Amino acid sequence: MATTNSMAELQTADNKPAGRLLVLLIGAQTAQVEPLVGNLSAALPNEELILAVPEGTATEQQSKLRFVDLPASKPSWILTAADFVHALQLAQKNEAHAILMLGPEAVSLEAEGLARLARAASMPGIDLAVPCYALPSRGGLVNSAILYPLSRALFANRARFPLAVDLGVSLRMAERLGAAAQKLVSLHQGDVPMWVVSDAMVGGMKIEEIDAGPRTLPQPGEPDLNTILPFVTGSLFSDIEAKAAFWQRARVSPPLHRQSAIASSVVDGSTEVASMLEGFRLAYENLREIWGLVLPPNAMLGLKRLSTINGAAFRMPEALWARIVFDFLIAYRMRTINRGHLLGALIPLYLAWVASHINTIAAGDDPERHIEVHAAAFEAEKAYLVARWRWPDRFNP
Amino acid sequence: MFSVLATIIQAQTAESKQPVYTDNASILHHMSDALHQSLYRVLSLLIAVLPGLLAFFVALAVFTFVGMALSAILRHGLGWVKFDDRLTRYRGSGVDWTPTNSPTAIVARVSFWGCVLLGMVIGVSAFDASYATAASLPISLLPYLTHAVGAILLLIAGTLIARFLARSVLIGAVNAQLQYARFLSLGVKWLVLVLTAAMVLDHLEIGGAVVELAFGILFGGIVLTLSLAIGLGSRDLVSRSLESRVDRIDRNVEVPPPATGGPGETLRHF
Repeated sequence: MATTNSMAELQTADNKPAGRLLVLLIGAQTAQVEPLVGNLSAALPNEELILAVPEGTATEQQSKLRFVDLPASKPSWILTAADFVHALQLAQKNEAHAILMLGPEAVSLEAEGLARLARAASMPGIDLAVPCYALPSRGGLVNSAILYPLSRALFANRARFPLAVDLGVSLRMAERLGAAAQKLVSLHQGDVPMWVVSDAMVGGMKIEEIDAGPRTLPQPGEPDLNTILPFVTGSLFSDIEAKAAFWQRARVSPPLHRQSAIASSVVDGSTEVASMLEGFRLAYENLREIWGLVLPPNAMLGLKRLSTINGAAFRMPEALWARIVFDFLIAYRMRTINRGHLLGALIPLYLAWVASHINTIAAGDDPERHIEVHAAAFEAEKAYLVARWRWPDRFNP
Repeated sequence: MFSVLATIIQAQTAESKQPVYTDNASILHHMSDALHQSLYRVLSLLIAVLPGLLAFFVALAVFTFVGMALSAILRHGLGWVKFDDRLTRYRGSGVDWTPTNSPTAIVARVSFWGCVLLGMVIGVSAFDASYATAASLPISLLPYLTHAVGAILLLIAGTLIARFLARSVLIGAVNAQLQYARFLSLGVKWLVLVLTAAMVLDHLEIGGAVVELAFGILFGGIVLTLSLAIGLGSRDLVSRSLESRVDRIDRNVEVPPPATGGPGETLRHF
């Protein structure tokens, strides 16, 4: 059974066993390697570090510091299956006991946050160290709207960023992830994301969430939301579909111990909200028939009421959003309509949630509290998802 | 002498009158004969073809029942050996098959429709054979039926493609916040449907050059109409849509946000 201790105090450096820690600097530029290496050396003075860097970016070798070439892979803004395959291969080749994977723009991590993550990665009792970033109130919206609530409700884990770009993994966790990643690479799907939190929960691994502080999250090369959102959401839906036997059992997520991941700020977003609501109303007029194939009458009625609300008064109820996401998940599994069309039809609904979220923040509410309320609604509606999953034709309120 | 001449004239008159009476009867007789013969030919042909027609329906019915039996046997057999579970384990994934699309259901369905198709082919072949032996002209029905089947398949494929493209365009246009999304979607759908109809008629060799010409005029007209409507009629709308799209792209260009919230914060979905 996987356990999670959020923000647990880490052991001091004196108690950590010396060993080899493999650090992968994925997508790091030459100028970024040296500060990262300096921070890591300071955080782990007793650890022998093996740094896997892109070819040609290695700096001067030091004692307890060794550079190896990281195999080239397709540049990506997330950790992909190919990255996990390379991580396992390098760890086995260099006899590392743990792996720290740092994604692109890792140099933006504060030294303290990097140190905490690095120490957690090298601790013997932790299989997966997941960072919790401190983001601005209008950042990481897809994670707040869909990824985190789904991961928390279905896999009973409160890791705030299930699609983190920095990870600490033990060797046994790396073997598990590497085996799953190898299957994807052999199917020529090496650039799909890996959902490590759900893998860890299914495998009964111990997960630790680490306060990593602020970080500049890498942005997709293709900035079009119409391409990226279906890609990420589709990957998550496929992962959930594959692990249906696990999450259909009732589980309780551990209590929340972390600090707020998102800074509270009052920002006027009326212009963006107006644009998003106009898009939502346009989508309601034109995509109503398609939504009707996926959503039950109750949800359609809720959307109809929302389409008449304007401006700052627009608020998407938590239960409605949870059921919409679950209904789309069901439709994804049942292939009610083409999956590309299905995920494309989700985009206006997601933007409606964003508009509601911006309105909530503009009204002075704590954004993190708002996200936690939504995530709790996902947990409350899990029974709805399980019922529709098991009896898709019979249970359709 | 005069009496002899009169007798000769009367005989000639009688002779000249008799052939008129004989041609009328002959025409009627010939017409009646022609009608009888054509009726006989058609009925003979029909009688000769009826067994073939009956053979078609019998073959179709028999193979349909065979298909149903085979489908049921396969469904029970594969369920007994837990075919779905074995396949899932072999594939190494935990994909949960939906009840209507499990491998067992697919195999059973394919076997049923395969038997029905085989029955249709055998029935058509039997019908064709009986028609060929009965008819004086060596006309084979099978090629025309295959053309018809091909035309039906073309029509189905074209309709499916039209619906798929229409929905793709609709969703894409709505997400791009184009006000004329539905108009664009309908235009694409009808373009594909017109193209499909022209291909079907051409495949059936109906209309010939008339169909080709009509299709060219219609297709070109639709494209020209769309171009004019979008280019001229919606000029301002398109430029506003494009400007708003460029503005959105500029806003989404990577601008590192401050660590804590503040005014002028960029909206970042990831």
